Order: sequence, then C-alpha cells, then structure tokens
Amino acid sequence: MTEMKASTLGPEEAPPAPPSATGGTLGQHREWQGPTYYGRPQLKQAPFNNWVVGGYIFLAGLSGGSAILSALADWERMEGTARRGRYLAMLAPTLGSMLLVYDLHTPQRFYNMFRIAKSTSPMSIGTWILTGFSLFGGLAAGLQFLADRMPWRRWPRRAARAASLPAAVAGAGMSTYTAALLAATSTPFWAATPRALAVRFGSSSIASAAAALSLGERPGPRQRALDAVAVAALAAELAAASGQHRQVEQAGVSGATEGRWGQAERIGATGIGTMLPLGLHVLSLAEGGHPGLSRLASWAILGGGLMLRVTTLGVGDVSAQRPETSFRFAQPDNLPEGKPRRRRLAAR
Amino acid sequence: MDVHARAQDYTESELSGMIEDESELTAGVRIVPGRSYGFFTDTTVCIGCKACEVACKEWNNLPADNVGLSGHSYDNTGALSANSWRHVAFIEKHTGQDGAPGVRSTNKTPYQSGWLMLSDVCKHCHNAPCLEACPTGALFKTEFDTVVVQQDICNGCGYCVPACPFGVVDLNTLDGKAHKCTLCYDRLKGGLEPACAKSCPTDSIQFGELPDLQARAEKRVEQLHGQGVSTAYLYGTPGAPGATGDLGHLNAFFLLTDKPEAYNLPSAPTRPANRVAPSLAAGLAAVAGLALTALFAFNRRS
Repeated sequence: MTEMKASTLGPEEAPPAPPSATGGTLGQHREWQGPTYYGRPQLKQAPFNNWVVGGYIFLAGLSGGSAILSALADWERMEGTARRGRYLAMLAPTLGSMLLVYDLHTPQRFYNMFRIAKSTSPMSIGTWILTGFSLFGGLAAGLQFLADRMPWRRWPRRAARAASLPAAVAGAGMSTYTAALLAATSTPFWAATPRALAVRFGSSSIASAAAALSLGERPGPRQRALDAVAVAALAAELAAASGQHRQVEQAGVSGATEGRWGQAERIGATGIGTMLPLGLHVLSLAEGGHPGLSRLASWAILGGGLMLRVTTLGVGDVSAQRPETSFRFAQPDNLPEGKPRRRRLAAR
Repeated sequence: MDVHARAQDYTESELSGMIEDESELTAGVRIVPGRSYGFFTDTTVCIGCKACEVACKEWNNLPADNVGLSGHSYDNTGALSANSWRHVAFIEKHTGQDGAPGVRSTNKTPYQSGWLMLSDVCKHCHNAPCLEACPTGALFKTEFDTVVVQQDICNGCGYCVPACPFGVVDLNTLDGKAHKCTLCYDRLKGGLEPACAKSCPTDSIQFGELPDLQARAEKRVEQLHGQGVSTAYLYGTPGAPGATGDLGHLNAFFLLTDKPEAYNLPSAPTRPANRVAPSLAAGLAAVAGLALTALFAFNRRS
C-alpha cells in the first residue's frame, strides 16, 4: 500500500502533502490557479446596499471633515466658514444615521447597537464615534445657531468654539473608521490594504469637506485657502490610491478590479473624483483663483467622494464572490507573519 | 464502538422521559458547561448520505433553501446558508493516474480517492471573526466554547457575514437576522449530542471534547498514513491550515485528503480584528496631517 503514489489522487496537479498542502506553488501576483468548488464563491459578500452604505460613508467623511475644518477655521477667524462647517457636519448625524438604520435588516432593533462597546468591531467603535460626534457636533451647531440669533451675547460663540474641539476629534474618527470597518472583514479587496484604504478615505473626507465649504464661499482668499486644502488632500488621496492598487496586485486580488465596479472606481473615483479636480484646482490657483474652475472642481470632488465609497463596496463584493480571488488572498504568503514587514509611510 | 454500560438501564423501546446525559451513550462524552466542545469531521469515511443535513434541518426547524438540481455532482445544497447549517460537498475526480481528463481511474487508493465528500459546518473559531465583528453582542461564546447568534438581539446589520473567513454566516432576508450553526446549543444544554453528529451513520462527524477530538484525529491521520493515504492531514487544529492568521484553532475541524480549496475551504484565513488598529492609526495620521496643512493654509490665506 505504501507505494501508492500521491499523484493518483490529484484532479489536475499532484496533490500536496501536509503541511505544504497549502504551500505556495503559485506565482506572486497571480490569481488562484488550483481547484475551486465548481467555481462557487468561497465567501459571502456583505449584505449591504452599496448606495445606502456608500452614501453613509461619504456623508460621515464629509461631516467629519467639515467638523475638523470648521474648528480650524474658527481658530483662524474665518467665522462664516466655521458656521457653514458646523451646519454641514450635521449631515451624518441626521441623514447619515437614517441611512444606517435603513440598511439594517431589522431596523426596529437599531438601539441594540448601544448594548455594548467592542474594540474588535469597527462597527461598534463607529457607533460610539457617531454618537459622540452627533452630541458634540449637534451642540456646536446649536450654539452656532444661538450665536447667530444673539450676536450681542458672547457666550454662545465661545461655547460653540469649545464644543467644536471634541466634535473635530470625533470627526477625525468619522472620516476614517469606515475604512477600518471594511478592512476588518474577510472580503479580500478590503482586507488587502487596511492602511491605504484608511488614508484614502480620510484624505477624501478632508477633500470633500473643503470642496463643500469652498462652494459656500465667495471668490477670495478664503476660497483659495479651502481649495489649497483640497489640493493637499487630493494629492494624499492619489498617493494612497496608487499604494492601494499596488498592494492589491501584490496580494493577488487585482482580478476583482477588472469588472465594471473596478472600472467605475478608476474612472469615477480616481479620474473624475481626484485627478480632474486636482488639475482644475491647480489651474485655478495658478490664476489666483478662478471661480468657475474652483466650483467645477469642488463638485467633481464631491461626486468622486461618493463614487469612491460606493465602488469600494462594489469591488469588495466582486472580490468575495470570485473564488480565484478569495483563495489567492487566503494563501500563506498573505499572512501577516508570512509577509516581510514593511515599515514605511502611513500610506502603505 | 463499545456500548456504554449505562445503555443497559434503557432497554425499553419506549422511554418515559429523556435519558439523562444521553450524549454519554451516543458520543461517549458527558456535556459539562465550561469545557470546550466541537466536531471532528473525518472526510475519509463520509459517504455523502446527507443525514447530517436532514437531521440539522429537522432539529432546528430550518426550511428548504432551493428544491432543484445544481448539476454539481450530488450537491444540490450548494453552500452553507441561513437555512442550511450542514452542507455536504461532493468532489468528483475525473482524471485518473492512467486516464485522460474525464476518464476515471480504475486503480484507486483507499478511502475516497476518486470521490471526495465533506460535511461542511460552521467552524466555531477560537477567535471567531463573526463574534468579534458583531456590534450588538448578539453573537457570543457559550459555556460550551461554541459561537451562537442570539436571535432576540441580532438587528441584521450583516457585518458578521463578510467578517467570516469561511463564508458561513448568512443573513435571512425574510426575518432580517443572521443565522448559522449553533452546534445545537439547546441540545448541549439538555445533555444531547448535536443532531448531525448523532445522525451520522459512519461517524464521519464526531462530537466530543476538543482535546479528546484532536488527539483522536491525530491518531486517525497516523493510521491513514500507515494505510497508504499519504495525503491525509488535519485542517483547523492548532498550527494546521485553516487555523492560521491568529484565528487560534477551529472547534469544528476536518481531516482532508486534498487541497483545502478543493473543498471550498481557504488555506490560510486571517483574523480580521487584527486589521482594526493599523487601519485606524493610518487613517487618523493622514487626517491629522491634513488638518495641520489646513491650519497652515487658513493662517496664510491671502
């Protein structure tokens, strides 16, 4: 019996011996070439509505970024910008929360989110970030409203400025926790790049907030300052996007980006949402601020920010559905201990 | 297996009540809270009868998913789902040692060499990603070291579904809750062996205390190696494929004879929760840097 050759067992190739049953016979960067189970998905895709959840992630970033920029604007005596930022930040607690509850499959039990706090669950972390953000952001917006109604009183202004600080801190969480939420799953496209995705989402959030606030400004130094912030954020986003795509390729997940969702991500989020406004803003700033170009760039940033979130969800679904992608991702060379640790910039 | 001495106490064909610690008679293990229980699924003796699927559906009152033929060998269940907590996979091997594709080998090694069958189930991971992802606490570790969704708490956020590296947890869109194998939590509480393991006619599914099962499995691998099945290995025991990336061990583990992927199992799954901190830190650092840039830009506006 012992001379039975292992090669009698394999379907197409020689079957593996343990523990190299999982060994990497596949080349770097390639998809899984071995057997699949009738081509059936190995993973289940997230049961999220991509437009609803993507919409929330976009609003969370826009609101979080607005809270940050409004706190900074107030510090630098840009009072109109600060006011608009505080009001804009209310999008996530209001409309955003409604989208979140709407996407639950048992929405009448939304309050069960408040039963616990769990550090391993970014959705739980996010619940409490959103709660804190709603509290302080709502306070800042309410006090701003009071200050506008009672300009002769100084305390509402000061109190609004004080409430803005914790709101900005929570806003930083709002603009990034959603990336951690996606990364902390087994969906290959999200899990492959925890850091780059978070940098991308965070930069896009600041860019979206700067764009929205820029749209509310008259042409002038404030708008130029906001547009400069957008340029910096877009540059960071572009760098993170290129890092993300390189890592996705290294992890063998890039097959998931070849479909229509991937195309939408490249054209909508990277092309129209990042590169185009970056160019427009640079052109506009070179001219000392061109209102038309600035406005066009701002709308492109906002549209691109939404597209980034929705297409990230969509490509993730594709990566979960393709066994060639999920099996490749779940190979030993993608294990944290199997990978040479790279300590570079946060964008990696 | 030998008959337990206590079986002599129950000779009537009709019993007046439940047998106390029935699991001791059927699985040779007394179920005690605080200990670790699981399944050892030995695929080399699975005959693909699907008694486990049926027993699971009956005990847990689960409806049929899809009544039809898939064309994938005898597998018409397809995958684990909200309504199917056991799933028997069938892998037909059409290429033999001496044959062209599509021709079955006439010379087989022992034990399932031409036709693999595996009864898949929730792995009840030690560091369960679904549990770690659950924001409501609906998913919890029981006193038997198993992972269960509390149906009265789950609000159907669906986050456990992409969290699972094995594609086990599923959301039922009719009731809006997440469902998966409970390792028969209710039966364990009553001292009963889980329905699938009890119904398995070949003991391919073995229920028991985890250390005991793991030792039994190691022995079985050795035995198979001795019998010429050099490809036999364990999936989901500590350090083995399936129990990678900080998942710990799997309370429901398997003995396989082909690549994990052939059975629709991942070779090296990871623990998603380990990605939370790096992701958050990188994102917050980027936002902090951009906030400083904004402060500078606002300050120098002209």
